[in-house]
Amino acid sequence: MHEVRSDEPKYAFLWDKETKQKNRYGEDIELATEGSELHGHSLNINGDEDIGDNPNRYKQHGFYFNADNCIGCHACESACSEKNDNPAHIAFRSVGYVEGGTYPDYQRLNISMACNHCDDPVCLTGCPTRAYTKFAEYGAVLQDPDICFGCGYCTWVCPYNAPQLDPIKGQVTKCNMCVDRLEVGLKPSCVAACLGNALDFGVVENIPEGHDQAITDIPGFPTPDITHPNIRFQQKRQSHREMTRTDSMPLKYHKDDAEGIYKPVVDEKAGKEKHWNFKKLLTSHESAHVIFTLATQATVGAFSLFMLGSIIDVPGMQLMQAYPVMMTFLVVLTAVCSVGLFKLNMHLGKPHRFYRGFNNLKLSPVSREIAGVSLFYGGLLGYVVLIALAMPLTDFIAGISGMVAVLSGVVGLYYMYRLYRIPARPFWDHGQTGTAFFGTMLSLGSLLTLLVAAVMLPLQGSEALVSALAMMMSLGLLIEGVGHVLHARDMKAADNEGGASYYRQTTQYGKSFWLRNGLLLLSYVLATTIVFTGLQGVAGYVMLAMLAVAMITAAVFSRSLFFVLVIPTTMPGAFFWKNEGFVEHARETGLADAPQHGVVYEQHHAFKVDEIVDTIKENSLQDIVEHAKGILGR
Amino acid sequence: MLFGRDKKNPISIADKKVDKWTYSTCGYCSTGCSIEIGTNKEGKPVASRGVGGADVNRGKLCVKGIFEHEIFEAEGRGEKPLIRNSMHEGYEMEEWDPVLDKMAAEIKRIQTTYGRDSFAIVSTGQLLTEEFYTLGKLTRGVIGTNNYDGNTTLCMASAVSGYKRSFGSDGPPGCYEDFDHTDCLMAWGSNLPEQHPIIYWRMKEAQEKRDFPLIVVDPRVTMLAQNADIHLAVTPGTDVVLQNAMMHVILSEGLEDREYIEANTNGYEQLEKEVQKYDPASASKICGIDEDTIRMVARLYAKSNRAMSIWTMGINQSTHGSDGVVGINNLNLITGNIGKPGGTSLSITGQCNAMGTREWSSCSGLPGYRALEKAEDREEIAKFWGIDPEFFPKQRGMAQTDIFPAIETGEIKGLWLIATNPMTSMPNTARMRKTLEKLEFLVVQDSYADVETTEYAHVFLPAATWAEKEGVFTNTERRVNITRQVKQPHADCRSDLQIFNDVAKRFEQSKKIKFPEKPAQVFEEMKTLSKGRLCDISGMSHDLIEDKRGIQWPYTEKQKKKGERPVSGGNRLYTEPGTFRFADGMAKLIPLPFIDNNEVPDEHYPFWMNSGRLVEHFHTRTKTGKVGNNNKFSPVPFMEINPDAAHEMGIQHSTYVRVVSRRGDAVVLAMLTHRVPKNMVFIPFHYFDCVNRLTLGLLDPYSRQPAFKQCSVRIEVTDQEEAARLSKESRDY
Repeated sequence: MHEVRSDEPKYAFLWDKETKQKNRYGEDIELATEGSELHGHSLNINGDEDIGDNPNRYKQHGFYFNADNCIGCHACESACSEKNDNPAHIAFRSVGYVEGGTYPDYQRLNISMACNHCDDPVCLTGCPTRAYTKFAEYGAVLQDPDICFGCGYCTWVCPYNAPQLDPIKGQVTKCNMCVDRLEVGLKPSCVAACLGNALDFGVVENIPEGHDQAITDIPGFPTPDITHPNIRFQQKRQSHREMTRTDSMPLKYHKDDAEGIYKPVVDEKAGKEKHWNFKKLLTSHESAHVIFTLATQATVGAFSLFMLGSIIDVPGMQLMQAYPVMMTFLVVLTAVCSVGLFKLNMHLGKPHRFYRGFNNLKLSPVSREIAGVSLFYGGLLGYVVLIALAMPLTDFIAGISGMVAVLSGVVGLYYMYRLYRIPARPFWDHGQTGTAFFGTMLSLGSLLTLLVAAVMLPLQGSEALVSALAMMMSLGLLIEGVGHVLHARDMKAADNEGGASYYRQTTQYGKSFWLRNGLLLLSYVLATTIVFTGLQGVAGYVMLAMLAVAMITAAVFSRSLFFVLVIPTTMPGAFFWKNEGFVEHARETGLADAPQHGVVYEQHHAFKVDEIVDTIKENSLQDIVEHAKGILGR
Repeated sequence: MLFGRDKKNPISIADKKVDKWTYSTCGYCSTGCSIEIGTNKEGKPVASRGVGGADVNRGKLCVKGIFEHEIFEAEGRGEKPLIRNSMHEGYEMEEWDPVLDKMAAEIKRIQTTYGRDSFAIVSTGQLLTEEFYTLGKLTRGVIGTNNYDGNTTLCMASAVSGYKRSFGSDGPPGCYEDFDHTDCLMAWGSNLPEQHPIIYWRMKEAQEKRDFPLIVVDPRVTMLAQNADIHLAVTPGTDVVLQNAMMHVILSEGLEDREYIEANTNGYEQLEKEVQKYDPASASKICGIDEDTIRMVARLYAKSNRAMSIWTMGINQSTHGSDGVVGINNLNLITGNIGKPGGTSLSITGQCNAMGTREWSSCSGLPGYRALEKAEDREEIAKFWGIDPEFFPKQRGMAQTDIFPAIETGEIKGLWLIATNPMTSMPNTARMRKTLEKLEFLVVQDSYADVETTEYAHVFLPAATWAEKEGVFTNTERRVNITRQVKQPHADCRSDLQIFNDVAKRFEQSKKIKFPEKPAQVFEEMKTLSKGRLCDISGMSHDLIEDKRGIQWPYTEKQKKKGERPVSGGNRLYTEPGTFRFADGMAKLIPLPFIDNNEVPDEHYPFWMNSGRLVEHFHTRTKTGKVGNNNKFSPVPFMEINPDAAHEMGIQHSTYVRVVSRRGDAVVLAMLTHRVPKNMVFIPFHYFDCVNRLTLGLLDPYSRQPAFKQCSVRIEVTDQEEAARLSKESRDY
């Protein structure tokens, strides 16, 4: 048990005498009633089997932040980092600020934020490895870095920037509510360290002595609707109508008089000039996702077309069944799909833990995506191998394998779409994600097929196939294009982070954006033309080459824009700390070379074969079966 | 588990495996927080925590103290003595003895060739009091130079001077407990949340229990200004005018405390005559505070049952720094607010042991607030040390800020710098570089070998830092608190006490004097010398100090013998009428005519430049610059500039700009914020090759403290890549 010092000051102790029954969202504050099987277990902190005697052990706790009082002294975040032994670039709690007014009527509003141990922890439901647990003890949402494989999805879904992905260790860690201190009746370290009397902690909905307010909105804090966070605020001092952020995020907060709350609006910080920004666009850490999503969508599209083509009788598709054409086609698909999966896996913080991606099939769209795509890949490989044998029986099994691949590919792609529908990322949380993914599946799938066909087959005699594939391409491009138009319309009008993304799309990446639009239009015109004219002679090849270049470039730009433009509903940062602009600057100028600047570089991580061998050795078959049962059942 | 995995691993929470906690006093600022450093089985410091039962900080620590255990092993620590014959050569590592021999020989050579005072010593506010006392003994009693001062000239000299002029002695009369009793708090150029966050917390606690009005005088909208009931955005350098105008209102409306004035002060008539000139209407034109507000604040302050003023560098670092302090004292004396709970003048001190050096280092006089100018003081100390009183000069020599110009003029040829970094801390870096180049012999004694001044040194002495040693600090409220040794000195570092003793041995004169080896033995000497003095510590001992988590002076042998235990807090000076330190026991009311001699903005240099502190950094960042969890909050220098001014010049937020003054230029990141007015910029002072390339640092006529906070600059847009490169180069440590 945590040591309680003989001279521990009174302010360090928890104070809840009475507690409410339900929180403001109608949920029970008591998470496990007397006699429940969840009672009486040790939290097993660092292997200590004792059970704490905190009388409110099974009640949901939360932070209380008095925004009127915070002086931005960093004591809370530092006490947290000291206790959790965090290096400079990682912090479970951070203080940022918004500011408003003009000199001397100026106000800086500091906001200290850590994990809110939400009622609906989207980190937990999103995490594919099941590294997260919401405990009946204190309602703490804890994450186990030993389970995590460093995909960072929890950092995408959390609206408050609570989980911290460490680029060096390749794993996520986060606030642990100081449950070791709670067990002995002490408040978390950050709270005990507060020098402004701003931060407090207790059973949720309880208001600390001397305060009378418990609101869930302050300027800069994302809407509580997404996760029902267990944090309550006091802010009695009026803020200015407009509160701006000092970090590079093109957002500010404007008071909505009707509702009396602050809503994010675009802050055109970087002016209106349009840029290409090629380097940042095309070499971001998310490039792995660009390659993976495009490769998977193209191969699932192409293979489905190939498999279904013979059933629904797509004109000319039988030409693809010729053995050399087919084998070339399948080998190309396998290669493209392999590259995508390889890029995805190797961008993980711990790529050798890839197998943990299935752990959360019950809740996580990421797990389902991984399962779907893996099964597709397996089915595809099976199909290729069995078809290569070219025997009647194997052909039949190959057919089954192929159909499994098609089905799971479609399911995988559906969850690939679902996983980007993140409420905390409004730029993605739009139907356009679906139209883009589905459109790409059609267009790139058809293009891939057409390219193989054009190389392997004479143009003469392939007119029907060319026309059918061009039509699919044209349709795919049209779907994607319509999606983009609607998305742009909605983002332009959005009163949330989506509007800020749109601002960046049309300025910081403005030229790349228009290049993408132009290429998409060009591709559509070319594809539609081919539907009617077909491909003939050298001109035909030139036209196809042009189409391929236009489409692939458009696809890469489009998907890269998708990833670099998203702006999450994270907390406002400070001028240096938690400022994305400064992080980029430090990486570009080499300030990140010195660890004490608090910025590190993104990096790739080795696939540790020895670790996976150890895991196999340490776990019996029975363990593995038990684990699988745990994933699927109960 | 509510939902999540079925089988869980044990919850893993960082366990630093602390084996032992050692009591210490924080080595950063002068708040004087009690801190415990946790060491693991291998003796490595791994954790810090505030001491719950200590009256000062009551378990709390600020961002710097929370990571103080990391400074022991920080980058850039000195490991072995370094030596070279000339500045253009590289250093060589050497053993202690030959280096100290060389140092003593050079001191003797310079003193023999150019005279005793041609070798100067500039010390610090960072050492332990026992070390200060020993250094004083070495300097005044053995080496015998009169050009000996501390870097406290850069921070608290104006407060010292102001206290001496008003009360007849240095020594802040108030304490933190005054917050619990006051009915009105006025903060002059003091930004507690950033500079002294623990004192802020004590103030906040008091305010939450018993709300009292807070008036903040500051040209910037600091966090404290923002939280104030009344914020007076004063024109830089005009505090004295505001004070005179407030007194004008108080005296003309009869709000003064007649009884107190008569029982405790001299000079009322002269003061009254002077402040008559400062009617609020005229004063408002100078100080920028409208006349109605001046009247309101004056009435509020005077009518409060107990009113107190605190101040920091906003007052001290000005050409009217000493006057500003006297002005605060005047205000408190005429309203009867000295020596009463909640009624006081309380300077919020800077360095951990700025007070210790004031009391015991002999920089400005002799130990225990004794003066060189007084024959009886000279005799008393000479007798105690066993030397001839005639060895002492009869007048104080140069202040730190006069020592450097004396190097320029060739009066001083050799210098010993102890735990101070003038390359970053002194105004006008360009001038400082030229100055240091002229020295025939420069010794830098510091815990960090990468302290920028080593660029010009001939000898570097690696000193043990803070809790690698043992001894006491005195804090802002005169509390003597102890630092226990947490670990052995790093590498081949030696404690400053040992270095002083080792240097002393190399001089003939030291044979007459005792130089005890153990800090506790030195403390005994100080106790003896403190008897009957204002700063009487004769009732204390190292163990009693730790037991009480610090004891405020005075705590006398008599009190101890009577069985009177030291109080936990709330000890004040001048609580009895007529007990001030002038011969007649009366405090002085001193008229303060205002002379406007600042470098004010003009068409060529249109901005006021103000400088100040950030909570995550300490002084020249030799410590906090290496602690990632401090440094990351402001790793490179920046400048607050008003967005309206920036937009007119086409300067964008978070881009580099070049700031130019009549002395030089600096590259900083522009932070656009309405914290500052349109004609002012603010740059933190912590960074090497930055703000002090710009500062003028006109000296206060009494305290010789430089006016860091008032000069004028212009701003230029600059090439971003080149600026980024320059800024990064200066951040290589």
